[in-house]
Amino acid sequence: METFLQQLINGLTIGGFYAVVALGYTMVYGVLKLINFAHGDMFMWGTLAGWGLLTTVLAGFTDLDLIAILMVSVLIIAFVGVMGMTIERVAYRPLRTAGRLSPIISALGAAFILESVARNVSDARWRTYPEGLLKELPDLRLTEKVALSGLQMIMLVICGSIMVGLYLFVQRTRVGTAMRAVSLDHNVSRLMGINVDRIISIVFFIGPALGGLAGLLVGIYYGSFNFTLGWTFGLKAFISAILGGIGNIPGAVLGGFILGVAETMVVAYGPDLGLPDASAWKDAIAYVLLVIILIVRPTGLLGETVAEKV
Amino acid sequence: MRKVFAITVLLAVCLGSLGISASAQEGDPIRIGLQGPMTGDYAYEGQGFEKAVQLLVDQVNEEGGLLGRPVELVIEDDAGDPTQSALVADRMIDAEVVAVIGAYNSTATEPASEIYNEEGILHITPSSTATRLTEKGFEQFFRVCFLDDRQALFAVMAMQDVIGAEKIGILHDNSTYASGLADWARIYAEEAGLEVAFYDAINPDDQDFTPILTNIGEAELDAVFFTGYHAQGGLLLRQTAELGLDIQWIMGNASNNPEMIEIGGVEASAGTFIVTEPLPQDLEYPEAVEFVEAFTEAYGEPPASVWWLLAGEAFNVIAYAIEETESDDPEVLAEYLHTEFSDFPGISGPIIGFDEKGDRIGTIHALYEINEEGVISYYAEQPQPAAAE
Repeated sequence: METFLQQLINGLTIGGFYAVVALGYTMVYGVLKLINFAHGDMFMWGTLAGWGLLTTVLAGFTDLDLIAILMVSVLIIAFVGVMGMTIERVAYRPLRTAGRLSPIISALGAAFILESVARNVSDARWRTYPEGLLKELPDLRLTEKVALSGLQMIMLVICGSIMVGLYLFVQRTRVGTAMRAVSLDHNVSRLMGINVDRIISIVFFIGPALGGLAGLLVGIYYGSFNFTLGWTFGLKAFISAILGGIGNIPGAVLGGFILGVAETMVVAYGPDLGLPDASAWKDAIAYVLLVIILIVRPTGLLGETVAEKV
Repeated sequence: MRKVFAITVLLAVCLGSLGISASAQEGDPIRIGLQGPMTGDYAYEGQGFEKAVQLLVDQVNEEGGLLGRPVELVIEDDAGDPTQSALVADRMIDAEVVAVIGAYNSTATEPASEIYNEEGILHITPSSTATRLTEKGFEQFFRVCFLDDRQALFAVMAMQDVIGAEKIGILHDNSTYASGLADWARIYAEEAGLEVAFYDAINPDDQDFTPILTNIGEAELDAVFFTGYHAQGGLLLRQTAELGLDIQWIMGNASNNPEMIEIGGVEASAGTFIVTEPLPQDLEYPEAVEFVEAFTEAYGEPPASVWWLLAGEAFNVIAYAIEETESDDPEVLAEYLHTEFSDFPGISGPIIGFDEKGDRIGTIHALYEINEEGVISYYAEQPQPAAAE
């Protein structure tokens, strides 16, 4: 039971990261019906930019406290957000009337460019964050063996507030209402006096910005990364978004947590169930789960309950 | 008129050069080939080969050469590529070499070894560890390095004798190299009477290994042998500390990289063991010390990789065999290495001899520990490999 609890915590932590990154996929799909393949790499750029800031500009500070990390977060949110808007302006907007295939190719191109530049910036090496970031936080000992580390708590709290905040933003504000309108129909929205291009720009700021923030958190939490991070996390987050019903914000969150916990449990209990090498099977089983859920509910777990997709 | 003159000059030059090459053959140097990756991904290693071997060749020539004849080193670049390697082998044969040292990686060594064996040229690789290379029954092929199974055996002995473990775990990453090493470790551990209570793999593309670490923690093991690469090794160390688990890690030679400690963090890495080929400067044998000193004097820095040292070792073995047999017939040399050659004071430690497949007997692996400052340092207590043979 104690081990199960610990594994659940492990799974929720992984799932939390998937969920925040999945939000970016789901928002963009909501307004444009486009799978933004560059999203995973923008997330990785958050990790890369955080590494750059913390090892150069802020390298002198040995015990970076919460305030400094908050400042870095704000910078990264701005940086990756603007990166997202730029990519939309340059790579997607010119292709908006060109059918559905062209923007996807363009998105893949953008992903490759981001990844190649990151490869060169990082010399294709594993890069490490400064040691001891946020290490002072106390652990939460649930039982003698089960612990939620301070870092894990912060991650879960941040991931949780992002999701709630975003949901409220979309449901309760004027801009959020406009987003929902755009996701239903571009032309009618325009007739209602909504500046569709501006709304899409805002979506392309918020989604990547959240991805970039998640990237920074991943860097702080795991301490190291290389330029392929965006591919591995991006793919899992994309699956999470589909699993929860792409276009649906609570769905992306739910999908992320389900995928994270499912993966963890396969590794945790696979060997007991006669599945040696469970790590190698983990992805296969996660995808089988995805296929089964999509067969039963083709629109994803929460895909139908919300008529207006954002 | 000028045309006739030009042709005459040309003819004269041709005849002259013929005369020179004919007289050079009267001097009759012993030609030894060095094939390695002088360009490409492994260029660093190939160029180190050249430095090490050239140094020894110069030493030998200063002392009057072999059998009273000078030694000439023929260097060819295979770029670590199997196709290039076959071409290099043909060029070596045209150059009439007695023996060839190389190549660096197993992929490049394999095609060349077939050609050299067919042509009856002595072939010694300093660094190719793939088991299958010596499984073909080639009479002319030897290696002065050790196979991965020796490393596994050494790791098992380190766990049993130095750490004092009884219940161990083995973790690999599903790559051919790491899972092979892990399989060997399991076989030797069970032979040695250790209980292998955990055997599993990670997916090297993952960033989060907490699920499998929680399982390892649950199994309450005395030591865990990780056979994968350093990036994942670092993440494992860090997350072990993050979870508050107490796991005694012992890492394989693919994790012998300071970057692992950067990724894992000094605090989380301290106390971790690493099994690896020793760094050249950690070899205590007088021959090794002498070689490292000569190398440092010649090039301004000590040899960076143990493979350079082994390239020099391959040359020494060839030179010794030529002197002992008083022959430059490769087949005589190979026969000698198979049968009589033994207890040679090598620069990478004593060479007990070669077995019938051409593999070097014994082991040179060493146990290292990451100390409190996060430096990979030679461990005071070493398992005794002599007992293993």
